[in-house]
Amino acid sequence: MITKKAVLFLFICFVWSYTSAQTKPVSFSVSGTAGITYEGYGLNRSPSGWTGYSARKPWNQVRFNFTPRFSFGKNFSLPFNFNFSAIPTNFAGPYAGIKNQNFGQFITNPVNSFGLNPKYKWAELQLGTQYLKYSDLSTGDIGIFGIGFDLRPKTWRFKFFTGISQEAVNYFAGPPTVTGAYKRKNWMFQLGKEEEGKYLFAVNFAKGKDVPTSAAPPPLTIRPQEGVVISIVANAYTDYGIYFKAEAAQSTFTKDVTTPLTSLLRGLKPFIEPHTSTITDFAGQVAAGRKSNNFDIGINVKYIGAGFQTVGYPYMQPDRVDYTLNTRFNAWKKKINVTASVGRRVNNVNNTALKASQFIGNLNWFTQFNEHWSLNVNYNNFGFLAASGMNPYGIKNVSNDFGVNPSFSWTGKKIIHLLSLSYNYSKYDERDVMTGLTTSNNTHTALLTYVPTYLEKDITPDFSALFFYNDVPGVKLSLFTLSSALSMQAAKKKLKLRGQLQYTLGKLNSFKNNNNLVASCNIDFKITKKLTWNTFLTTNYFKYGNEITPNGASYLESISRTGFQYKFDTKK
Amino acid sequence: MKKIVYSIIAAFTCIAGYAQVNSNLILMAQPPAQLSEWGNRREVLTLIISSPGIIIDQFKIKAEIKTVDGTVIANTDLAKAPSFSSNPSGTTLLFANDVIPLEFMMFTGKYKTALQRTGKLPADNYTLCVQPVRPVDYIALGEVHCRSFYLANTQLPILMKPYNEEILDQKTAQTAITFRWTPVIPRQTSPVTYRLQVFEVLPLQNPVQALRSNQPLLDKEIFAATQYIWQPQLSFMADSSETKKMPTFIWTIQSLDKDKKPITQTDGNGEARSEPLIFYVNPWKNRKPAN
Repeated sequence: MITKKAVLFLFICFVWSYTSAQTKPVSFSVSGTAGITYEGYGLNRSPSGWTGYSARKPWNQVRFNFTPRFSFGKNFSLPFNFNFSAIPTNFAGPYAGIKNQNFGQFITNPVNSFGLNPKYKWAELQLGTQYLKYSDLSTGDIGIFGIGFDLRPKTWRFKFFTGISQEAVNYFAGPPTVTGAYKRKNWMFQLGKEEEGKYLFAVNFAKGKDVPTSAAPPPLTIRPQEGVVISIVANAYTDYGIYFKAEAAQSTFTKDVTTPLTSLLRGLKPFIEPHTSTITDFAGQVAAGRKSNNFDIGINVKYIGAGFQTVGYPYMQPDRVDYTLNTRFNAWKKKINVTASVGRRVNNVNNTALKASQFIGNLNWFTQFNEHWSLNVNYNNFGFLAASGMNPYGIKNVSNDFGVNPSFSWTGKKIIHLLSLSYNYSKYDERDVMTGLTTSNNTHTALLTYVPTYLEKDITPDFSALFFYNDVPGVKLSLFTLSSALSMQAAKKKLKLRGQLQYTLGKLNSFKNNNNLVASCNIDFKITKKLTWNTFLTTNYFKYGNEITPNGASYLESISRTGFQYKFDTKK
Repeated sequence: MKKIVYSIIAAFTCIAGYAQVNSNLILMAQPPAQLSEWGNRREVLTLIISSPGIIIDQFKIKAEIKTVDGTVIANTDLAKAPSFSSNPSGTTLLFANDVIPLEFMMFTGKYKTALQRTGKLPADNYTLCVQPVRPVDYIALGEVHCRSFYLANTQLPILMKPYNEEILDQKTAQTAITFRWTPVIPRQTSPVTYRLQVFEVLPLQNPVQALRSNQPLLDKEIFAATQYIWQPQLSFMADSSETKKMPTFIWTIQSLDKDKKPITQTDGNGEARSEPLIFYVNPWKNRKPAN
């Protein structure tokens, strides 16, 4: 309540100061867009009654966007960020499976955003849905519907936001099953000093708390939780391109607030009381390096403790140390560009699991030999090794990818021709933990592309042929694809057309071939300078051989999307 | 007469007080690594106390957790632990919250530190020993029952390919995209089903927002394998020339047990979804972006 009053007071203050400061008419401008888009999806399966292929889009969907930015003079701006959909389509996260939403659920559903950020000089009021990233270890991935501010007087930073990241969703046995969720309230705060391009020092605080009584019936598998994270960020940059970034964080997280309180574990009073399911752990990351026009080098180390958990990053995987060395350089008068990284990830830092280690190595080397010839070579390696535990052998998976891509271009009188060949070999070895035998999975991909660019015509076609072959014991899959695309402009460049046709012949083991045809087009029509009509149509026909039952099954799916976009622009 | 009655009552009280109760401890061989989760799942631990024909007025459960070499790493603070009375029917069932109430369990050394930091004990074999005792003087009312168990935190798959922020060639991606990930560790007693989901990140969405709100373009359950070749059968043309944004996707793996339930429901997001990665499809390779 006090927070709301404070924010209201602040808002009144800067509206008053803005209006009272005006002695002459202020300039007014609007930028941004507004629009509506309809998307329809169709799926016909044959024979009727066959359900072997599922719909992958909502049958109908209407999306609205309203993102204008009103500017009054130099100092005051009022940006809107309204994006919402008519039909909920949640498959993951707290709203998964929800069909009928109440108003609160609609407002806080991640598919919808209703944000308003009035800003006067260095003071910004944040209203509605906000995706705020304070730092890498505190909060950043979650949208919260609420109220807060971001104040930046001189080099100071004061940020605060509070609201609801998810409404309660009642458990429903189904079908389809709705897992359900507890209502979650969030608070976040940052205090710091920053001079852009020079330094940043900030202390972050983020808290989330579920309301245990909010869902009825409550979720069966999810427990009401509560978590607090405090982090310190320190970044420094020099004029010579040298940078240093560091963050250290501590989380205290209660996995189930219905478990008994205890004095045997650490809490973080007054922010969080310790329960028997409360854990406290640490995380940290350091990055240092140098950037310049022709040479970059950097090292990153990231540690996430096994018990580190934050409501701001719900999918963060704990219990690991990652360290990588990255570099990029140009040579031979910038005709050679190389990017490379090498690193390792180790899981099980706290010994609560089996030891697992992953090696990561990437290299991309591009050379422009002359105006005709260029060559790109890349190599990626991922190796994963885990202790055997109770099995005779540990897990060992090694993935190696090697690619080479020469390109040749030449210029005729009216056409620039480009011929590009790409070949990639991928080998994936996997060890069976019981027998110790390694299975090799080999993939070859070859792609030939020809792109003529007409110098005097507004037409750009391309043609390509691709061969894909995957071989693993018991399964041999080959795909052969021919495709062509065309883009052009018409009606005095008011109409932009892009079309594509793709045919794929597939073969699995000794089964009969399957066939796939994908046709699509994109039409952008500029009705006026500010109003555009965008349409996208695609259809996909797939006919199986005899690799599934019923033999010769097929499906035809289509996606049609059309919408109008209005561009706000008051600049003359 | 009164003396006889008092004598009989005293004799009964004495028998009840020192009665040997029978007990049986049932414990999962591989219970959840998160100790606080034991109390939420009755199938993890059951202690059956039976005292046929006798009502035990009050008793406590003395519990000890030991390592393989017999070192005691945790025991019950009997002074604070709750007392129970036996069921009039003769059989009393107790569960994890009663037998090893974490708020009254005293852990030692590195085990205490591990529990405070992670809610788990270091991965290893342990033995749980329980014994009913009298509440006042902690004299044994029955035999000690011990059961071994193995604790290892389940590690969700780490996504390998496409790696984070990889830019795929449009023509290749339209034919096939190969997904690879590491298996669940440790190896589960029944094969894991990996649910691979790919979500399109729409304009004006951030990636995790797309994951939590969109219908996946690919939602495939893969049984006990860590690679999948997806034939998208989609056109990855840039959506609109206005956005000049590469088609962007976020993918993740949800690990499911034999009942198609998330393999860990108490760690992280509770959905057993691995940390997602983003990949892009470049529609402008070999050609300039549309103006």
